[in-house]
Amino acid sequence: MIDDTPVRATGLIKYFGNAHAVNGVSLSVPKGSIYGVLGPNGAGKTTTLRMLLGILDPDAGERTLLGHTKPREAGNRVGYLPEERGLYPAMKAREAIAFMGALRGLDWNEGRTRADAMLETAGLGHAAHNKIRKLSKGMAQLVQLLGSIVHRPELIVLDEPFSGLDPVNQENLEKLILTERARGATILFSTHVMGHAERMCDRLSIIAKGQVRFEGTVDDARSTLPMRAHYVPCSGVEAVGALLPVGAERTATGWRFTVPDGGAESLLLKLIQNGHGIAGLTMERPSLHDAFVKIVGMSATEAAEALI
Amino acid sequence: MNQTLNQIIVIARRDFMAVVATPTFLLFLLAPFFMLGISVASGFGGAYLAKSSVSKRQMVAIVSPADSALLTANNQAVRKRLYGPDNGLAELRMIAPEADVAAQQSALFANKDIDVTAIVRGPLSTPVITHQKGEDRSARFLATLSEESLRAQRLGGSPDARLSEAKITEIVQKVPTKSRQQKTGSGAVVVIFILTLMLASQAVGMMAEEKSNKVLEILAAAVPLEAVFFGKLIGLFGVALLFVAFWGTLAAFGASFIPASLGIGAFAPTIGLVPFVILGACYFTMAYMLLGAVFLGIGAQASTMREIQMLSLPITIIQMAMFGLASAAASNPDSTIARVAEIFPFSSPFAMAARGATDSALWPHLLALGWQALWVGLTIWLAARLFRAGVLNSGGGFWAAFARRPTTPPAKSPA
Repeated sequence: MIDDTPVRATGLIKYFGNAHAVNGVSLSVPKGSIYGVLGPNGAGKTTTLRMLLGILDPDAGERTLLGHTKPREAGNRVGYLPEERGLYPAMKAREAIAFMGALRGLDWNEGRTRADAMLETAGLGHAAHNKIRKLSKGMAQLVQLLGSIVHRPELIVLDEPFSGLDPVNQENLEKLILTERARGATILFSTHVMGHAERMCDRLSIIAKGQVRFEGTVDDARSTLPMRAHYVPCSGVEAVGALLPVGAERTATGWRFTVPDGGAESLLLKLIQNGHGIAGLTMERPSLHDAFVKIVGMSATEAAEALI
Repeated sequence: MNQTLNQIIVIARRDFMAVVATPTFLLFLLAPFFMLGISVASGFGGAYLAKSSVSKRQMVAIVSPADSALLTANNQAVRKRLYGPDNGLAELRMIAPEADVAAQQSALFANKDIDVTAIVRGPLSTPVITHQKGEDRSARFLATLSEESLRAQRLGGSPDARLSEAKITEIVQKVPTKSRQQKTGSGAVVVIFILTLMLASQAVGMMAEEKSNKVLEILAAAVPLEAVFFGKLIGLFGVALLFVAFWGTLAAFGASFIPASLGIGAFAPTIGLVPFVILGACYFTMAYMLLGAVFLGIGAQASTMREIQMLSLPITIIQMAMFGLASAAASNPDSTIARVAEIFPFSSPFAMAARGATDSALWPHLLALGWQALWVGLTIWLAARLFRAGVLNSGGGFWAAFARRPTTPPAKSPA
């Protein structure tokens, strides 16, 4: 049977001693999509990915990877970049990529050929024969990423791929991920940086304290918060406050408020009828960050700390 | 299966190259040269020390001038006849007796400059010999010298005059006696033990590189842990083979210069030399794999280099225990301890190698090799399980490595 869901998890549970690291995580990753697993630090993202890949066995629950209930049987069809980056320091960059390919069944010589081409494309052609210990952290990280996809896997799992990269390399990595998706690969990655998820993910899960708090598209996530509006009246700025919904905030030029459930039309009509007019009106969609904070149930301070 | 085999080869190849393609490997390969150099230097030093200590030791004869002349005339001939040219006996000094011989003797033993080992006094027909503790050889020599000197005098005065002249001929035993077979077996145990001691104990630090470089998770995601362990063991065994091949070639070259009477003929395995060497190679492989797997498993549990260093003592003790058990088996091939050593998996390669020297049956070896291979697999499996449970934090500690997964229904995931 051809499964259109390369990754499927149902009720995964994992204890570390008495600690409940993952508590019933369920998710489905559609084929050919970019799927994000979002969550604050310690939410259980890495443990979930490790269970999906078969590095750890769950204490309960089911998982299917590319149609296999034993994830290891998916073998060479998977590429994985772990959260903790690691390469043999004495290996040359191209050898490191070829070695990682060879572990996934790619012929060593073919791996070297592909490594040369990939390094060239990634702008690291000059470092192909440099030992890993001579590369910068970002370059080594890129080499490791190339190593995890050199065998052209159907499913690419990346654990916090953007951490430790400078903005230029983050952008390069985003392009690389999109290229892999264009090739037909399914991408599953974890992150706590909302910007990447917002730009790239077709679907995402938000995990907190070992549980899935949300599963859907980025738009679905945003929709968990009501739309907000920034309204600038023609006159009587101070008096307008009494007509606006509870919680409206005064800005330098007007007011920001949450759009009521029925929409903004009736409210705007009332403002016009009261002679305030409309000098400016901006409808603001909530960001994924806002949705994340609400879904996870964090205070603003907690969110700032957890998303570092 | 094929894929796992390929992965084992990839890991073995990486580890082999990582060791061999470094300058440190040359140091490792040539280390026995340094050991030989140190041995030669110590030998010279020891010989010099022995010589200088001999020169400070003396035997003393407090005898009349006539007896003194007699002893002097026979001294060299007797000591050479009894103990050979390099006999290591202290020189013999003649002293004329004083009025109080007992006091004279006490003064000689009290002398701090010269170490007097034994003193003979009185007429040679009834010599009184006193010797230091542990110097009974000197005392026996002085007694024999007194007797032989008197005998020579009565036979005509020549020190070489003999009533019976024995002709002594040395031969090399060519029949494979039980004793020689046992010695061959013991030799095999020693050789395999030294090789595993030098080479297999390196396995203890093999996982340290992966742990410190954090490559472990890449390997664990791509390859079954058992394959990681086995690949590493094979890679290190390749290094060991290179070492053995290098030194084996040198040893074979050196052996070609040894006279036939002292060389190959000295070994007398029942099954024949070539099958015995082949068996030895098989048992070395098994000993290496078994002990290497144990050390790899133990070392993989260590988190730091300090912990790995601390493990070297218990590891050496394990090896010594296996050596002791196998040596006992080699010395008593038909004993219960021999059977125990042959069956106990970690001493089995050593004990069975020794058995090859005394027992011509081949089937026990096939059985033993299969048994040992099974234990190699079991040890690697166990090491991987413990590693997964303890180091990869799969949870639950030691016993969880063997427990069945719980089958409780999963908690409902909140949407």
